[in-house]
Amino acid sequence: MDIEREIVVPEAPDEVWEALIEPERLEEWFATEVELDARPGGEGVFRWGDGDERHAVVRELEETERLVLDWDDGGSVAIELEPVVEGTLVRVVESSPEFAPALELRAFAWTALAAA
Amino acid sequence: MDGARGGVDRVFAALGDGGRRSLIEAVATRGTATATELAAELPVTRQAVAKQLTSLADAGLLRATRAGRETRYEVTPAPLEQAVEWMVSVGAAWDERLAALRHSLARKA
Repeated sequence: MDIEREIVVPEAPDEVWEALIEPERLEEWFATEVELDARPGGEGVFRWGDGDERHAVVRELEETERLVLDWDDGGSVAIELEPVVEGTLVRVVESSPEFAPALELRAFAWTALAAA
Repeated sequence: MDGARGGVDRVFAALGDGGRRSLIEAVATRGTATATELAAELPVTRQAVAKQLTSLADAGLLRATRAGRETRYEVTPAPLEQAVEWMVSVGAAWDERLAALRHSLARKA
């Protein structure tokens, strides 16, 4: 199970792309402090105001189209841009290998508890 | 992410292993179980089961009760709820970020 979000923004994909790969632009929307070596295999560090810090490696990078980061906790996030009449469709998919087991186990545990 | 990960990290780490997930299911199916009972029906040693049960109890997924020389375990779904709530919060964080992205782009234009 993945977490998916989509928005449409009026800007063209190449304008949106800059906001995805330039650290100073990422600091305007993604995290408080960002270091990112925006090339496949490049490393990134994202820090938030609450002290949270996540490390990532760029798995895929297709300019103005697709950026995939692998988090060091095993999860990943893919951000895809698609030109649409109104501007750009931004699609985010965040996955974690533990999301699905957590949901399945929760359903299973409650069913078993109810039957006990 | 966003600070809420603390306890949930341990839950996710505990869930990251297929053997531990099977154990939780085995305990949930029985209602309560000891390491000896579970080892009798699973293809693992009692020691291995006992170790996994301890780590699941540490993550808060099982509640341990001392019963004579054995420890009985039962499933506590609350941490699974936290894990699911955390997933909801990940979605909410993306809603906020994408709204911030929209503003950032508009300012730049």
